[in-house]
Amino acid sequence: MDLTPDADQEALRVATADWCRDNMPLDGATSRPLGLWQQLEAMGWTAMTAPDMGLDHATEALVFAELGRFLAPVGLLASAVAARWVGGGKTALALPAADKVRVFDAEDTTAALGVWGEDAGIIMLPGRMDMQSGLDLSASLSVIDLALTPNVIGDPRARRHLQLLAAAFALGCADAARDMAADYAKIREQFDRPIGWFQSLKHICSDMAVRCAVARSQLYFAACALDADEADSAFHVAAAKRLADQAALENGRANIQVHGGIGMTDEAYPHYCLKRAHLLSFIAPVSTSHLLKEAA
Amino acid sequence: MDISFSPEEARFREECRDWLKDNVPAEKRPLNASDALDFDKAWQHRLFEAGWAGINWPTEYGGRGLSIVQQVIWLEEYAKAHAPWIGANFVGVNHGGPTLIMNASAAQKAYHLPRILKGEAIWCQGFSEPGAGSDLAGIKTRGHVDGNELVINGSKIWTSFAHVADWQELVLRTEEGLLRHKGLSWVISDMKAPGITIRPIRKISGQVEFAQVFYDDVRIPIDNVVGGLGNGWSVAMSTLSFERGTGFIADQVKQGQELDELIAMARGNGMIKDDRIADQLAQMRAEVAALRAMTYRNISEVVRTGQPGPEASVIRLFTSELGQRLERLGVLLMGEAALDFRYGDDNLVAGYLRGFAATIAGGTAQIQRDIIGERLLGLPKSR
Ligand SMILES: Cc1cc2nc3c(=O)[nH]c(=O)nc-3n(C[C@H](O)[C@H](O)[C@H](O)COP(=O)(O)OP(=O)(O)OC[C@H]3O[C@@H](n4cnc5c(N)ncnc54)[C@H](O)[C@@H]3O)c2cc1C
Repeated sequence: MDLTPDADQEALRVATADWCRDNMPLDGATSRPLGLWQQLEAMGWTAMTAPDMGLDHATEALVFAELGRFLAPVGLLASAVAARWVGGGKTALALPAADKVRVFDAEDTTAALGVWGEDAGIIMLPGRMDMQSGLDLSASLSVIDLALTPNVIGDPRARRHLQLLAAAFALGCADAARDMAADYAKIREQFDRPIGWFQSLKHICSDMAVRCAVARSQLYFAACALDADEADSAFHVAAAKRLADQAALENGRANIQVHGGIGMTDEAYPHYCLKRAHLLSFIAPVSTSHLLKEAA
Repeated sequence: MDISFSPEEARFREECRDWLKDNVPAEKRPLNASDALDFDKAWQHRLFEAGWAGINWPTEYGGRGLSIVQQVIWLEEYAKAHAPWIGANFVGVNHGGPTLIMNASAAQKAYHLPRILKGEAIWCQGFSEPGAGSDLAGIKTRGHVDGNELVINGSKIWTSFAHVADWQELVLRTEEGLLRHKGLSWVISDMKAPGITIRPIRKISGQVEFAQVFYDDVRIPIDNVVGGLGNGWSVAMSTLSFERGTGFIADQVKQGQELDELIAMARGNGMIKDDRIADQLAQMRAEVAALRAMTYRNISEVVRTGQPGPEASVIRLFTSELGQRLERLGVLLMGEAALDFRYGDDNLVAGYLRGFAATIAGGTAQIQRDIIGERLLGLPKSR
């Protein structure tokens, strides 16, 4: 039993964060350069657990939490899952609703992956799609006004995989909001002292740190459970997703409060984290019954 | 990263489980500290005889010298077997003993440690005072040096198990004129010494488990100072790190059991059909799972680096508040039957009332949040 990253995993995690800081900073999330996707592919992040890669979900989750911290494209989630279970290159992310399908990051691809009921599945995209940004300004959104039927991926682990990676992204998003808030609380001064000196602000930040620690721990456990194909891996992944989504949403909101007026502006970055958190919460969402299943 | 235990650890787990299956007492632990004293001592002695006391304590003082992972396995199995709370032995086993192991002289260790493990000596903790709780450095009780003795005057309060204890971890002001963290000493104080008066205090749950202690010219040999005269603050900090550190390891199992009982109860009385209740139960199932993951992560950190990471303070805060959410929901599920509670009952209401201690004792939730903000996030110190 060891729930801390080993030396190789830690090195990979640090290298990922370093690369992101230089090439994919959070403040550029709404205007990513052309060619970013090719770079992400070259770094190996679009297919970390593809059959020939020999990496486990624990390592992948660790790396995705770092990518998520910099608000990496959500298309990575769909592409990484597709690469593991059906093969293929860039895959957009699909969020099916009753009478339509929302597709994110559909540039340069003809397929999208999402969850229909309990199954992960793939749809083929129409040739021409209108791409605009929605709430989350970092991802293009296209709406298909049809309830499409997917090609279901037979293995139930595919859905769990998507849920795990989305949880990792949400954790990263929560981490980013926590750090943004704590950094600001150290430099912004009012009443002749940093606002982080005031307990009412300090404790908001402490609670952000608690949410991140809780979500990170469960993410590691869930990734290991999935790697070991444990009988209760579905539960552990669901728990990780729920806690990570909560951390991302609540930290996203708290970060705006810590920033005061500037936090409400389009030009500051706190809203990036909040809006990303809302998008992530709809990816393979967790129902109450998932979490109560097989309980006493 | 992986979550599987080694074959040796799995065998150890079996060993724990087998022994507990045959040895956990059938009768419940009595509620009040004085009624429970014999029970607590007998049970601790049985644990010692069978080699389960002090699993990761050094062998020279009666421990087994095993790993922290084995300690966790034991505590997990202990909770799963519904073995009784160690009660009056809590202070000695969980923080008095470990503080001595780290700071005491060879003679102090040789005398006290085996007695703690065997359940022969009960310890209590004299840190808090009427005027100094969260602000421990504000204590006023003094020990005046007179030859080779300390003469002690003042008062401590909220001292759990004071009225049944033999020894006390007593923090005193031993140097005149020095302020706050300076001039304090950590002393092994004899609770039966002349000049000590103990006034037991009843809790809102009805139990008499803590007390106020008055010291009136109490004489304690200066040889009983641990870690050197005037070094009390640093010794006290090590005590607090043990108090805040090891107590929660089995919480994840206990809270998981309590939650399973609540889910069964909500299914039984139909309240689970209320979406808000189902949602709270689901949330807490995820949180209990995360608490185990956090505990394992922290233990892994200790194995890897020799010390718990800074996130230990997060676990303590999280487990205390999760426990209280569980207890609140338990009372909600009871409905009006909660109104029938009487002092002496040992049910969900008693647990709920006792549970208020979790965010007060050993450092309040507010103080924990300060620590997290300052040590984990590097925010400016408020105090
Ligand atoms: C069941 C139980 C058992 C205990 N057993 C022992 C024992 O065996 N030995 C022992 O020495 N002590 C014991 N204690 C005492 C415990 O350590 C203290 O109660 C605790 O440290 C708080 O101190 P206080 O009660 O004086 O509250 P105070 O410090 O007066 O606090 C009152 C309120 O003010 C808040 N507060 C205080 N300072 C600040 C601040 N700087 N910023 C923000 N909020 C603040 C607190 O969080 C709290 O909400 C026990 C307490 C309980 C409840």
